[in-house]
Amino acid sequence: MLEQILCIDDDPITLMLCKKVISKSQICHEIITAQNGEEALHQFNTLKYTNKNKDSKKPELIFLDLNMPVMGGWEFLDHFTSSDYAEFNTANVIVLSSTIDPEDLAKAKKYPIIIDFLSKPITLPMLEYLKKKIDL
Amino acid sequence: MKSKTLQITLVYILVSLFMAILCHKILTTYFSDVKYFYLFFLKDIFFILTTALFFKYIVSKNEKRNVTVFKKLKKTNEEIKESNEKYDIVAKATSDTIWDWKIQEDSINWNKGIEGIFGYNPEEVGKTSKWWFDKIHPEDSIRMSIKLYSFIEQKTEKWQDQYRFRCADGSYKYVLDRGFLLKDENGRATRMIGAIQDITKQKEEEQRLKLLETVITQSKDSILITEANSQARKIPKIVYVNPAFSQMSGYLSNEIVGKSPNIFKGPKSDSEELKKLLRAIKNEEECLIETISYTKQKEEYWVRFSMIPIFNNEGSISHWISIQRDITEEKKLETEKEHLIRELTQNNKDLKQFSYITSHNLRAPLSNLIGLLNLIEDIPIENPELEEILAGFTKSTHLLNETINDLVKVIIIKDNPSMQKEEVSLKEVFENVFSQLSFQIELHKPIIKLKFDRVPLLNTNKAYIESILLNLLTNSIKYKSENRKLKISIIAEQIDNKAILTFKDNGIGIDLERNRDKVFGLYQRFHNYPDSKGLGLYLVKSQVETMGGTISIESEVNKGTTFTITFKN
Repeated sequence: MLEQILCIDDDPITLMLCKKVISKSQICHEIITAQNGEEALHQFNTLKYTNKNKDSKKPELIFLDLNMPVMGGWEFLDHFTSSDYAEFNTANVIVLSSTIDPEDLAKAKKYPIIIDFLSKPITLPMLEYLKKKIDL
Repeated sequence: MKSKTLQITLVYILVSLFMAILCHKILTTYFSDVKYFYLFFLKDIFFILTTALFFKYIVSKNEKRNVTVFKKLKKTNEEIKESNEKYDIVAKATSDTIWDWKIQEDSINWNKGIEGIFGYNPEEVGKTSKWWFDKIHPEDSIRMSIKLYSFIEQKTEKWQDQYRFRCADGSYKYVLDRGFLLKDENGRATRMIGAIQDITKQKEEEQRLKLLETVITQSKDSILITEANSQARKIPKIVYVNPAFSQMSGYLSNEIVGKSPNIFKGPKSDSEELKKLLRAIKNEEECLIETISYTKQKEEYWVRFSMIPIFNNEGSISHWISIQRDITEEKKLETEKEHLIRELTQNNKDLKQFSYITSHNLRAPLSNLIGLLNLIEDIPIENPELEEILAGFTKSTHLLNETINDLVKVIIIKDNPSMQKEEVSLKEVFENVFSQLSFQIELHKPIIKLKFDRVPLLNTNKAYIESILLNLLTNSIKYKSENRKLKISIIAEQIDNKAILTFKDNGIGIDLERNRDKVFGLYQRFHNYPDSKGLGLYLVKSQVETMGGTISIESEVNKGTTFTITFKN
């Protein structure tokens, strides 16, 4: 079981749905959320500077939406994969989006950190599949 | 000579003496009175000697005169001989045909040229001027004879003429004939001697050049010729312009010859292009530019301007030829077209973006609804009315989701005109399609006839061709006739560089008289079947056309439907 999962999405209903489905699946102990890329980066920064404790939890899996206000999914990934976030970017990223733009799909293949590109909504079978994929 | 005079004199003396002696003897014999006979005899001898002396003088004088005359004659003779030899040599050396016409007798003589150049045998050659005139081309003969006779009547100074002369084989040769007159002491023309020169080659060359020249003079493109060398930073001076050029630029030939084409330059001319041209001139290379030029009236026009160097035998440039075309209209159209394409591309991009955003914005809340409905499934519901409402809610939500997913498929097909193509085995494609439809095929057991051996491999997109065949096969099964066993035949043929796929069933068909223009339309349904959405054929057509193919349909109600799909292969 994973310690922590981060869901980044601007839609509160989607976040609510994620929380409910993920907690049902018992894939992790804790779910945290962010409303856009910037907020997520802010959370990582806080984690980095305020809590130097080695035992502190950090997200191991990130569900990421692409179209978000303030900072979208791609911009978030560009920051997140830089050396500034070296201690966090070992986490796996799953793009969870309702986009149909083939360019997004092609772009996702260029990021090794993205292990899958899934279509909304999040479902229990989807999480079962992910469990197998990340070998839990 | 002297001895001959002496000889003649001596003979005279001897003969005369013999006669005198003879007469003396006869007289002395027959007459008795001989008193004066000896005196007469002496007188005779004296007379003979005196006349002999006189005779000798006359003969020797005559002789002297004869010698001078003879000498003169000999000299003239030699001169004539020499001149004759010269004439023979010249006649042989020249390629001209020489004729000699005695005008009064009307007899004409030809040299060997008439044989060598015009191919007449000596016996064919006529002896009168008529023969000559007969051989002249009818179009030339009147003009020629008028000129000739006015020369003979000495109204004109010189005579030379060009006409066509018929050869032995019936063909005509262009000739240049030059002649002069011989006159008698009264100044009357008695003889005329002429030389005919074969100028067919020159004439043909002249006509060929004239024809070539018409290309320049009649051309709708402007043509100008310039000198080889230019002053610094200028295009070489013009030496010739054709009429089309004057038409285009407004400059007459005499206004522009001697000037540099630089005068067409104006404020809007493309200086980069002109630099390119000057560079090419410097490097002695041909060059093509497009720029705005200015007419004499300072009106602008677009011109496509080429400069081609002309090299002489020594390999140095003798001239430049420039061909120019007014492309103002062309440029205008091009600009309009570019503008239109830019606008369309932008519109298309906007629309595409719009469709992505719309579908995203529709799908986002919809996926939430589905997710929420999934959650409800696990919650027991006590109220039957609420259960019914939620069931309806679920059904509607899923239908909306399907519709949106279908639309998304269409958008993606439309957006992907250059998808990946590969060599696909039709047999494999069908195996895939059949395995996807194994349940329906097992259920209805249609008779399926396949014939792919003509087109084992098709260069196409595998996913699309599978989707196309899946849709068509599903339709055939879905719209089969209840009264007869379903028969489907799928035949692939290769004709030239096209693969033709014929897909035929014996199902219920579509009434094409009413629906031909709607068959491949989006959301067009022709039978009220519960699971038909009117999307299948629309997708099929989109996919076929995206791959550069065409599809057509033939159908008859209650007999069956045939689709013909053509791909480039």
